[in-house]
Formats: sequence, structure tokens, C-alpha cells
Amino acid sequence: MAYLELKSVTKSYSGIDVVHDFSLDIEKGTLVSFLGPSGCGKTTTLRMIAGFEQLDDGSIQLDGSDITGVAPNRRDIGMVFQAYALFPNKTVRENISFGLRMKKTPKNEIGRKVDTVLEMVRLQETANRYPHQLSGGQQQRIALARALAVQPRVLLLDEPLSALDAEVRVVLRGEIRRIQSELAITTVYVTHDQEEALSISDKVVVMNKGIIEQVGTPEEIYRAPQTRFVATFIGTANQFMGIASGRDTVVCKNIKLFADGVKSFTDGQEVVALVRPENIQVQAEQPQRSDWNVISGIVETITFHGAVTRLAVNASGQRVVADVTVANTKPVSLNQKIWLLFPPSACQVMAAEE
Amino acid sequence: MMKNSQKVERESRKKRRAPGWQMALIALFLFYMLVPIISTYVFSVATRWDRTILPEGYTLQFYEKAAQSSYFNITLRNSLILSLATVLVSLVIIVPTVYWVHTRLTRARPLLDILMILPFGIPTVVLALALVQVYNFAPLARSPLLLIGAVVVYSMPFMYRPVSNALQAIDSHTLTEAGQSLGANVLQILAEVVIPNILPGILSGSLLVFATVFAEFTLTSLIVGAKFKTFPLLLVEYTRINGNVAAAFSVISFTIAWLVSMMILWVGTKGKAASPEASSLN
Repeated sequence: MAYLELKSVTKSYSGIDVVHDFSLDIEKGTLVSFLGPSGCGKTTTLRMIAGFEQLDDGSIQLDGSDITGVAPNRRDIGMVFQAYALFPNKTVRENISFGLRMKKTPKNEIGRKVDTVLEMVRLQETANRYPHQLSGGQQQRIALARALAVQPRVLLLDEPLSALDAEVRVVLRGEIRRIQSELAITTVYVTHDQEEALSISDKVVVMNKGIIEQVGTPEEIYRAPQTRFVATFIGTANQFMGIASGRDTVVCKNIKLFADGVKSFTDGQEVVALVRPENIQVQAEQPQRSDWNVISGIVETITFHGAVTRLAVNASGQRVVADVTVANTKPVSLNQKIWLLFPPSACQVMAAEE
Repeated sequence: MMKNSQKVERESRKKRRAPGWQMALIALFLFYMLVPIISTYVFSVATRWDRTILPEGYTLQFYEKAAQSSYFNITLRNSLILSLATVLVSLVIIVPTVYWVHTRLTRARPLLDILMILPFGIPTVVLALALVQVYNFAPLARSPLLLIGAVVVYSMPFMYRPVSNALQAIDSHTLTEAGQSLGANVLQILAEVVIPNILPGILSGSLLVFATVFAEFTLTSLIVGAKFKTFPLLLVEYTRINGNVAAAFSVISFTIAWLVSMMILWVGTKGKAASPEASSLN
């Protein structure tokens, strides 16, 4: 039995399900992210785990007992908010000791525990400052320390880095992951930032319109998306709309593609073939390969991204983006005719209608 | 932030352009506000002031007369009881209600906003007569209790606005949830987190209510009349007997309102000393 179990959790506002039949098992000590666009129900689900929202249907079990109807302050579940939510009238030390006092922890123990978590977030020197004297990143570290001080059974983080600068975000997400692994605390992390979710999670739950699209490790989510939504929401994917033909071909408007996995569709079924930009090679001369897909096109835009350069190519009316690294590609110029190459294994085929 | 600094810049530019008429406007406003007060102060110590620009002489005899008035102590006491009781009842009713509506029942906020404008819309005379008609049974009929109830309603907007604004400014909803996730119950959160952070709002609300009720005349006169005479009633009475003594009463009334305001502020800043910049949370 999993440590935290959500069973057919459903929540609706004025007749519309914002979370629909959501079932998920979360293992003890793991970090699970809820990832999805805004309005997908990820925050609502998190708030139901915290107890701030009531379920319309389903149940939530923690460590073998049903917590569906338990008040939020009796759940032993810590939470970190996007807006930090530090108590402005209290110093850092008072903020962190608040939860411990509510738990009636002995005084000398409170001091020790506060010092421990402050050390953990590397902000010992701020103990006597007020929240407004700290930077956003520091405030969020203190909020994390405050949530951890009471040693909750589960830690919830609701878009904790959204209000911070890009640089601080990257550093802090590493910190969160480090602390989470050190304490082996069961953690649910809500974000709309795919890079964030992929980089720190044991498991990612991709959500859309109140339902789970896919649950998997970051690699599974990226390499083997099971729905078109996941494929396009995580990373970038070229979409070739076409019709399944035979065992290995997708016939598009002006292009024919060889793709693995076509055989699981019936002849004539409308499908979409998805190809990641980094799996496409670019050549200036026509290559001679009959086992790969070879498409010619005209370079329309060139966007420099640092490690890679992204080309948008017009291939007989179909727009295809391809990422090339400076090291293995000759420079290309605008309006140049080029050839795009990718193996059938790089095409993932899905039914066009979901 | 950006918007703010632009605004400040625009304002300072304006100031540079037309300081002359702005100063004149401020001067006019101060003149308008201060002249009646200063005149009252002077009139309360003037011997005779109808033939000259400044009084012909000065005396403290009217204060002596005022203090010797048999009703002086009683009315003062009654006014203090009425004002403080109203502030207290208002606090106990308004603060938890507004907090509740802000954190749990946000849909009810427009309703509350409208309710809190209503007292301004009802003429006090109508309110008083209606209350007297409806509550015409013991122990409420024409009692100080009914009066307190009436002035609580009448002065409610003055408490509601500052408290509501203060709650809005601190994002009480998220702070409450943060407290809950740390194991605190609603009372603990109110006492330790919410109230300390909205103290400035609570204080200005209390001041406004105190000042309003201390000077209240219509409701008091119509509901309890001579049975529970307050300071404003005595003051109005004396305007018919001796203007100078009435002026002395006014000055005393001002002074008391001032002193109480100072006291409330002092108590407030003492409580706030432990929490500087409580309102800095954006």
C-alpha cells in the first residue's frame, strides 16, 4: 500500500469538474510533481491533500488512515505557498518556532530544532530578522524551513518558485531536492514549469483539464509521452497529421513518413506523428538514405538558443522545427534549401482524436 | 512598484509647476478647518467678545462653572461608558466577521460592503424612532443598552472600512492557511497572526468609532434622553444657557477625544513595537 493514496478524487465548482476521478499512489519518501497548464486542477488537488478544499467525491488516505474529513491543522501536512506567507509580525525564528509551539514542543527543543532547519536552508544569520528584510529567495527558504521544522508527514509545495527570478529559481529547486532527499520526506510539488518538474521529480503527474494525462518518471514522460497533450506540453514536438497506411507509413498532405508503431492503427485511420526537434538532423546536400525519413525544405527562421540553434523549416507547406548544435552542423542561412533526416524510431504515432 | 514611482514622479513634477496655488489651497483648507476650533477655544476663555476683533479680556471662570455643573461628572462618565462600550462591541462583532468573510466566505463580501454603507443612508432620526418603536419592551425600551446597540450600528462603517482594508493588505487568506498547515486553530491564528498584523486598521477603526460616538447627539437624545445624559446633550443644553460655558464644554470634549486617541495610539504602538513594518507583506 502506498503512503499517500488519492482515490477517485473529484472536485467541481458550479457543476464543472476541476478535478475529475483523480487516483494516484505516492510512495513514501518520493517527490512527485503535478505538472500542467494553469487551470488544470493541480493546485486544487494539492489543496485537497492539505485539507483546504473539500472533496466532492473520492477519498484521501495517508499512511493507512483516511484523512478525507480531517481538519487541515490536524493532518500533519506541511505546506509552502507561492507567496511565501511568512507571518510579517514575527521574526524568522518566531516564524519557524510557531508550528513547534502549536505542537507544544518543549522550549529547549524548539531552539535546537529551529537552528537545525535554519542550517539546512543555510540562513542561520537571518534568525532575528523580519520577513520584509529578506529577499524573495530567502523568504521562500524560511517558509520551507518553517514547514519542515514540525517534521510533517507530507510536504506540499504550491508553485514555490513562481515568484522568483530565473537564477534564484534554478538554485532553489536544487536546494529543495537536496533537502527533500536528505530528509526522505514525501513531497508533492505543483508547478507549471516543465523544466522544474523534470529536473527534481521522482515521478511527474501531467495533468490537463482536471484529469491525469500521464504518470511516469521524468524520462518516461519526455521520451515516451502517451498522449498528444503530454508530447506537446513537455518539450517541443513537430506534429505531422496524416493517415496510417500499411505497417510503417503515415501519409501526410505532401509528405510520406516512415514511422514505428503504425501497425497498431488500422489502415486509413487519422493519426499524428510526433517528432522532437532534437531528433532531426540537418544536411545541406541531399543525403542518400532510404531507411530514414528525408524531407527537403526552406529555412524560414534561425533562432540562436546558446547550446543549440533552432531552425524553422518550411517543408512543402509543413512547418518543421529542428535543433542543430553548432559543433556538428555547417552553418545554414535563411532561405537556404536543406534536407531534414530522422529515423522511423523518432516518430511517435498517436491517434489524431483523443 | 513601477506604477507608484511613476505616480510620485508625476506628482512631484506637478508640485514644481504650481506650488503657489497649491499652497493657497492648503492654507484655505486649514483656515476653514481651524478657525471654528480656535474661535471656540478663545471664546471659552473670553470675558466679552462682541465689540472688538479680539476678546476684551480673558478668564477661566467658564471652566469653573462647567466643572461645577451638577451633571458634569455624570455626563462625562456616561459618554465614556457609551463610547468605550461601543468600541468594544464593535470590535467583537466586526473583526471576527470581516475575518471570516475575507478568508472563508469571500462571496459574501459585496453584500457586507453594501450593508456597511446602509447606516449612512438612513437618517439617524428615523433610525432612532424606529428602534424606539420596535424595542418598546423591558429591559430594552429606552435603555442605555438599546442606545449602545443603536450607536454600534450607526458607527459600524467606521470600524468596518479600516479593518477590511487592513485584512485585504495582508492576504489574510494565505496567512491563515499557513497557520493551519502548521497545526494552529482559528483562534490561535487570529490572536497570533491576524490581529497583530491588522492592528493599525483596528486602531484607526476604534479611534473613528470613539470620536463619532463621543460626539453623538441625535440617537442619544431620542432614545434615552434625560435618563442617560451624555456630554453632547449637556453641551447643547448649555448653548441655550451660556455660550461661553458651552464653549468650555466643547474644549473639554475635544481634549478628552484627543487624550483617548493618544492613549489608543500609544497602546497600539506599544503592541506594534514587537512587530515593526507589519504591513510590509505585499
